[in-house]
Amino acid sequence: MTIGPNIDARHATALPFVIAWIVILVLAGISAWTAFLAIGIWAPVVQFGIAAIQTALLFILFMRLKGSPSLKWIFAGSGFFWLLFLYGLSMTDYSNRQGWPPTQISSQPPRQGDIGGD
Amino acid sequence: MPADARLEIQFATLEQQGDTAQVGMWIFLVNETIFFGALIFTYFLYRLTYPHEFAAAAKDTVFWAGTANFVILVTSSLTMVLAINAAAQEERPNQMIGWLIVTVGLGFLFLGVKGYEYYLDILDRVVPVVHFEVKPGEGSAGELFWVFYWIATGLHAIHLTVGIGLLLYMLLWRIRRGEITPAYYAPLEVVGIYWSFVDTVWLFLYPCIYLVGRS
Repeated sequence: MTIGPNIDARHATALPFVIAWIVILVLAGISAWTAFLAIGIWAPVVQFGIAAIQTALLFILFMRLKGSPSLKWIFAGSGFFWLLFLYGLSMTDYSNRQGWPPTQISSQPPRQGDIGGD
Repeated sequence: MPADARLEIQFATLEQQGDTAQVGMWIFLVNETIFFGALIFTYFLYRLTYPHEFAAAAKDTVFWAGTANFVILVTSSLTMVLAINAAAQEERPNQMIGWLIVTVGLGFLFLGVKGYEYYLDILDRVVPVVHFEVKPGEGSAGELFWVFYWIATGLHAIHLTVGIGLLLYMLLWRIRRGEITPAYYAPLEVVGIYWSFVDTVWLFLYPCIYLVGRS
């Protein structure tokens, strides 16, 4: 059973892609707007959340992850998995370093090993 | 040229050959994801370590140029996918060529805006090591932001230039020789997947570079 618009190039019309393009640009406008609001840590959270939604639209529609061959999903998924693996393993190190991230912001030049704290 | 003339001996059908080409590009993009993912991860480590310095440094980025290039790239992804649709639908070969020319034009426009932005950056003395001036509030950690900026946008521009080259190869060689037809348009589809991936990278570089320290 096919869910959503038919994006197979042989049958597709421009409409689903134009709608996705408009949605991506509207989301970009919201993302840029949040940069000028004093909402602290929520600004990057919203901005990168929006980037993830925009990426999903590009992957599924513009890069035709939706549709055959289904094998594409395995490789797209493996890229996402290895990225999480990279981030997760790296953060097990940094999240256990004392004094990182720093609560006091230094105006001094960074010392050797500063990024890791002690 | 008959369609089966392009069928390589290891494939049973053109459809299988096209599917394999697509999967091959996705395998390549896994590498690219890790490549850019590691770069962005490094950025976050430094941004968490020096949040105020990064915010002060990022204020000097050219917001309008980054935003204009965002719109240009997303629009080029749309024109690329419309070119592939036209390639797959027999009655529209001229539309395919038209959309591809627009896509190439948008690619060059992106590089033009980026080049002008680099020119402004050089005038603003934000080129680490060779032409850098520490601004108030940045500290020397601000230079780390600009190192990321030049490496990330430079690598992205190289990828986009490769994409433009692939599109010109399609336009000036494969299409002219009649090798892109509704029966087999996988080479164009594979280039389209690459093109949109390069667009995806900008979706993340944009908030990393241009939306920091504005409030």
